[in-house]
Amino acid sequence: MIETRDLSKSFGPVQVLRSVSFSLHDGETLVVMGRSGCGKSVVLKHLIGLMKPDSGDVLVDGESIVGLPERKLTDVRRKIGMLFQSAALFDSMSVGENLAFPLREQGVHDEKEINTRIAEALEMVDLPGEEEKMPADLSGGMRKRVGLARTIIGRPRVILYDEPTTGLDPVTSDSINHLIRRLQRRLRVTSIVVTHDMKTAFHCADRVTFLHEGRAHFTGPIAEFRDSTDPVLADFIQGRSGDTD
Amino acid sequence: MFTAIGRNTFSFLGYAGEVAQLFRDTVISMFVAPIRWRLAFQQIVEIGARSQLVVIVTGAFTGAVFAAQLFFQLRGFGMESTVGSVTAVAMFRELAPALTGLMVAGRVGAAIAAEIGTMKVTEQIDALRSLGVHPTDYLVVPRTIAMMISMPLLVGEACMLSLISAYLVSVPLLGVSEPHYLRNLYQWVTLFDVYKALIKGFLFGIIIVFVASHEGLKTTNGAAGVGKAPTEAVVISSLAILAANFILTFLLNIFLPAGSS
Ligand SMILES: Nc1ncnc2c1ncn2[C@@H]1O[C@H](COP(=O)(O)OP(=O)(O)O)[C@@H](O)[C@H]1O
Ligand SMILES: [Mg+2]
Repeated sequence: MIETRDLSKSFGPVQVLRSVSFSLHDGETLVVMGRSGCGKSVVLKHLIGLMKPDSGDVLVDGESIVGLPERKLTDVRRKIGMLFQSAALFDSMSVGENLAFPLREQGVHDEKEINTRIAEALEMVDLPGEEEKMPADLSGGMRKRVGLARTIIGRPRVILYDEPTTGLDPVTSDSINHLIRRLQRRLRVTSIVVTHDMKTAFHCADRVTFLHEGRAHFTGPIAEFRDSTDPVLADFIQGRSGDTD
Repeated sequence: MFTAIGRNTFSFLGYAGEVAQLFRDTVISMFVAPIRWRLAFQQIVEIGARSQLVVIVTGAFTGAVFAAQLFFQLRGFGMESTVGSVTAVAMFRELAPALTGLMVAGRVGAAIAAEIGTMKVTEQIDALRSLGVHPTDYLVVPRTIAMMISMPLLVGEACMLSLISAYLVSVPLLGVSEPHYLRNLYQWVTLFDVYKALIKGFLFGIIIVFVASHEGLKTTNGAAGVGKAPTEAVVISSLAILAANFILTFLLNIFLPAGSS
């Protein structure tokens, strides 16, 4: 479905990705973990061509997207929905207009259908009836959920979630975890979930990839990840910094 | 010294190249992607509404002071009835387009750079792209169309107001004889002068929209970057307008020679 090969990317003098390779199979959920700033968001942006790697390749359905010009990427992007870490709502539009946007771009023009689907999507993220609000009036967690609604409303085959539960209270987090699971089970959505949240990981993951020092340090089943004796993974899982008072 | 000049020439050419690239993208977009007319009309309203006050005040007061100065100078030669025609020619050919351009660069150019810059640093532009929408199609083309339509209208408006204010200052206020004033005006001001004003306005609008959009799209560094983008957009597009005005004056004089009609 999606595969990266030896992805590398630098910003100025800082090499964020050295050689990231992993693959995502049809219908599976891959959880990507790693310390803040290790390049998880950067990896996601490469998968839909928002960033171009310095070297390496990204394959979607077996075809390289790295050399594609912006206009040719539209087809790939319609298949893949992305929830941005910052939610990236359109500030000038109400919540309802934000959600209508992907639908209109896909050529849905029936206002009744649009309104029904907006209501449905808001229901799914526990924000029913919030169509009229402007993004500036929402809390961080609500923005995240509206962003999630905007991502799923176009019914993409693949969803990339960038920290879907960060900043949410535990109850809302739990309902988002269930939503991810539901989309995965019922609609057979393939997904990548970037998260720091162990609960999300255990709830959703088929496999885990751990990014460390610009590489996919570990890729494997969640149980193996949890029980790993590798000091890097163990420190991360148990939240040890190595500092002493 | 020479290396400094060399470096500046290089960075100027580099910048012009980047803006030209955006221009090319925009032309391509107009042909390959459907034009979003609804957004273009919204932008016309924005640009038009935002610019009314400055254009009216600029046109009216510049025309008025220009006419008054001319009157004081020409009265000694008994040529005060030419005040209207000289004011109109100066306003149409030079002052109205340049001043309107500078004013619109300040209001609209800054707003465009700030809006697009904010969208850039808050990942809204990435969000557009992720939904399969090309930022040039969605952001730059509607603003370009709006500017191409609005700027000639705004320049025309400034010209009209300068005509009216020059008349009011000269005839009722300073007592120039009305028939002489009007005869000179009809004799010396031609349709070519109006064309020059509109052509210059059109081209200045294009300079503003591409410089401002470019500044917005290349914004980085979060809020600090968003603070810088409008300032840069205003400074660069104003300088570009002044330089272009000089070149255009000569070019337009070849194609639309002064004094003929
Ligand atoms: N557009 C960009 N320009 C410059 N540096 C960037 C950009 N995007 C990300 N970075 C840098 O890349 C590194 C990884 O960022 P990111 O992928 O957001 O980390 P995370 O794993 O927390 O999501 C950070 O050091 C960040 O500063
Ligand atoms: Mg991130």
